[in-house]
Amino acid sequence: MTRLPQSDTQKIDRNSSLSFTWQGRSFEGLAGDSVASALYASGIRIFGRSLKYHRPRGLYSLDGESANTLVNINGQCNVRSETTLLESGVRVKAQNYRGSVEKDQFSFLNLLDGFMPAGFFYRSLHKPYSLWPLASKFIRKMAGTGVLDTSDNWEDKKFTEIYPNADVCVIGGGPAGMKAALAAADCGLRVILLEIRSWLGGNYDWRVRRYEGESLHLRAQKLSSLVEAHKNIWIFRQTAVIDLSGSNQVTAFQTGSRDTAYDQRYIHVRPKSVVVATGAIERPMIFEQNELPGIMQVGCAWRLARTYGIMPGKRAVFCVGDDLGLEAANDLSNLGLDVKTIADLRTEGHDPELVRAIEKKGIPFLTGTIALSARGRKQISSVTFSSIDGSNPQTLECDLLVASAGLTPVTGPLNAAGAKMKFDEHTCFFLPESMPPKVHAAGRIMGMNDPVVLENQGRLAGLRAATDAGADISDFDLEALQAKITRPAKGNKIAFSSKLGMGRKSFVCFDEDGTVKSVRQSMDQGFDKPELIKRFGGFGLGPGQSGIPGHNLPLVMSDLEKYSSQNISPTNIRSPLVPILMGTVNGHGHILKKYTPMKDPQTTADTEFIRTGSWMRANRFSDDLDCVKEVRAVRNNAAIMDVSTLGKFKIFGPDSLKALQRVYISDMGRVVPDRLKYSAMLNTSGALVDDGVVTKTGENEYYLTTSSAWASQAESWIRYHTRFENLDFHMVNLTDTLAAINLAGPRSREVLNKITDDDISDSVLPYMGYKEIQLGDMVQARVLRVGFLGELSYELHFPASYGSAIWERLLTAGAGYDIQPIGLEAQNICRMEKGHIIIGLETEQNTNLLDLGLGFLWDQNDETNQKTGSPALGFSQKKNGRTKLVGLEINPNDGIPGDGAIVYQDNTIMGHVCTVRNSITLDKVLAMALVKEPLAVKGKTIHIYQNEGQGEKRFTATVVPMPFYDPQGLRLKDKGEA
Amino acid sequence: MSFTITCPVCGKRDLGEFRFGNENQGPGKDQSQLSHGEYMDQEIMHRTKPGVQEEWWCHDSGCGTWFTVFRNTLTGRETNEKGVEI
Repeated sequence: MTRLPQSDTQKIDRNSSLSFTWQGRSFEGLAGDSVASALYASGIRIFGRSLKYHRPRGLYSLDGESANTLVNINGQCNVRSETTLLESGVRVKAQNYRGSVEKDQFSFLNLLDGFMPAGFFYRSLHKPYSLWPLASKFIRKMAGTGVLDTSDNWEDKKFTEIYPNADVCVIGGGPAGMKAALAAADCGLRVILLEIRSWLGGNYDWRVRRYEGESLHLRAQKLSSLVEAHKNIWIFRQTAVIDLSGSNQVTAFQTGSRDTAYDQRYIHVRPKSVVVATGAIERPMIFEQNELPGIMQVGCAWRLARTYGIMPGKRAVFCVGDDLGLEAANDLSNLGLDVKTIADLRTEGHDPELVRAIEKKGIPFLTGTIALSARGRKQISSVTFSSIDGSNPQTLECDLLVASAGLTPVTGPLNAAGAKMKFDEHTCFFLPESMPPKVHAAGRIMGMNDPVVLENQGRLAGLRAATDAGADISDFDLEALQAKITRPAKGNKIAFSSKLGMGRKSFVCFDEDGTVKSVRQSMDQGFDKPELIKRFGGFGLGPGQSGIPGHNLPLVMSDLEKYSSQNISPTNIRSPLVPILMGTVNGHGHILKKYTPMKDPQTTADTEFIRTGSWMRANRFSDDLDCVKEVRAVRNNAAIMDVSTLGKFKIFGPDSLKALQRVYISDMGRVVPDRLKYSAMLNTSGALVDDGVVTKTGENEYYLTTSSAWASQAESWIRYHTRFENLDFHMVNLTDTLAAINLAGPRSREVLNKITDDDISDSVLPYMGYKEIQLGDMVQARVLRVGFLGELSYELHFPASYGSAIWERLLTAGAGYDIQPIGLEAQNICRMEKGHIIIGLETEQNTNLLDLGLGFLWDQNDETNQKTGSPALGFSQKKNGRTKLVGLEINPNDGIPGDGAIVYQDNTIMGHVCTVRNSITLDKVLAMALVKEPLAVKGKTIHIYQNEGQGEKRFTATVVPMPFYDPQGLRLKDKGEA
Repeated sequence: MSFTITCPVCGKRDLGEFRFGNENQGPGKDQSQLSHGEYMDQEIMHRTKPGVQEEWWCHDSGCGTWFTVFRNTLTGRETNEKGVEI
């Protein structure tokens, strides 16, 4: 199709053509085209098929308010072709059809609406229930929009996010928005302006009508160059606002292009105040077949011609409801469109200047006239219109019907911010009755339409927002400005002609094929509020997010029920106001991935690293699932393990002991220098949240370890539980500062002796001893003689930068002792054999200290009575039927159940297996399990059930005492030869 | 819902930086004197008042301070002692 002659409202570059494919065929568009305008210019009229009835759908608006023009672009489904800029080489495909989009084999569904009344899937398809899987299979095949391409390589998309700072955020870059931004920026404030289109100008952008001696589109260009030149204004184009929430949090996303560093980026602004100037979209006129291809909104036809240089049709009929419609008809006629007739809903209130221009051209102009029905199979061929009451019907042939009942404000951001919307009798819009604090609205969203008023109101809103942001505007006469804001024109609330009939194919919601008939059916079912009918019949739940039906649905209901305007209530609009890609919400992907300082020497071809919280840790150093070599090294020789992830803290100050007494369940007054005390932190329910060791390192100074998972919370936990007393203590988190290696095994003392000259004999450093030693010529280390693995072992804590060096030196020193690095799995086996727990594995939310058999830690004689969780332990002591931790020996003939397998008795779940491993050392299958008290008796037979997708498995086990390995703890306390 | 919290050290910051520490019920009674029911009431039963209440917050992703602020639970927003939004 040839384009219209060049004009300065156009946004296309005639010298740069872009090729693309539609349904596999090649077409050409121009740079500056949206995908939709390029398709329309190429003669494409059917863009896709509708969700339920498979009706042909085409271009309707140009701002992506309905699902009509959702297409598949380069494999990504449901892309808004109207708001997506054309790029060369894109592959565009239609959606929801079988065969071809022109001749859809499912189009017979259009005749079956009688079988698909409103809410039919709720009402008819659930009885008998056995029918549902079959029905849903068919429905899924026939209904819906795009199909997700799961093979699509999503990694190719670039998502980023920014958090720009601003005093004032203006949503909408039309005349009101630009004026608001300029007013606030002139006060010296930092302003962010968000615009959904790729240019500023709003409704001025394509209008050539003159106001006060200046064409509106030139006025738009002048304003936008002022905004662009202003150093205080940061403009985001192609940016859709998805939410405006409490305390002025504005979230939006910006669509990029091939030239930007992102495909979509998430924008989060928290300005001091907000101006909402989102303007208006059009309210569809409702008549039979009001969505046939060839029927479009005023702005759509107008902008096709003015912005993209495309003549929207040959023989046009206009059915409009406001002056903007008349202005468009007049302008398009000037551009050469053959306008057969202009019908206007209104009987009065027309702009006389426009009427004169129309009459001068000899175009038939009918007032009080509304479209009744359109005919045509794949495209409109004729339209019938009549008076509102249905009299004087007449039919005209046409290939373009420009239809719109008027405007409807885009109140999404106000709704989301909590503004109460009320039907305004004068404008017939839903206007805000009250505004959220520090949010202002201006322009067409407030029902205004006169250009002078739009600009003044924008300026006023900008100044008010500037006051909220702390600017001094005493120089401005706000009242004078307010006085210039005159009342808007009267609107109409006519939804459809009284002769419409049933409205079988009169669409209120295009996205979900919701018709006037389905509104009737929903009301017959007793639904009397738009908010309910919206859900029952499916109106405005689609990608359009209430854009098309949001205003019409309440008006249709009011018409059908004949109730007064006071009772008209709008539906709620919720975020995201515009559909956003999940990838954009995810942004960069903030998954923290930390490695310890000993990563490099631990990395071999066989090392398996696994994620534990934010840490990546070595799990195994071979592909042997039982880690036989690693476990044997611990039990027979020596092993080293990277335990740098342990929480390590220094706490000091006069009140540090008080703080420790508060959170640890033991008497921390008994913590002495050179000795470690094992204790636990409980929550107020008595449940274990952390365990670790504490030692005293000086006057009012302690060193403590926590489990890896608790490291990030320990400080805030201690501060929380001491929050009422202003205690004088400081805490230093040394977790990342210090690396830690656990050197374990019967020969570990010999290995350690090789790299230190300090005395580490049992008399100086016994079991649960603590000492600071010099590691060779290298560095000072804290040595904690703990025994998590059940053997003689030394935990070395030293500056993280020495991590690799000391790891390697230990390996060298231990070479003669068959030293072996071990990972988490070997640790898990060894500590389980020793009956040591890991919080989160052997505990649940409500597993308390007593349930775990750790009651000896509890200081019951605490005089201060302030230990966190202590009373709860007291109460639980008197309760029966709790779940206890027990040791199990699994019947060797039954195999090995998985961690988490269920413990049952007489078809009742009695607990679960926490950790179960094949113990090489003891040649038994051993487990730790949490079971209900009646089963927690030594010698009791336990039944275990597992169904992990490989069929049902059952196991039997016997409760045995723990620890399984070295019950006397002789190996931990190994005194050595001396 | 989203709002801001004013940290006494770092100033007004985004909700996401903070951790909630429940409504402020004062230091609590002597633990040894509480019955089971009283203890549960104190530790678990919160008033969850619709309106302005004093709450504990921790600037977890910032300075780590625990402090109290007043907040209107109906609007979500921070207020002063008298319930006026700040």
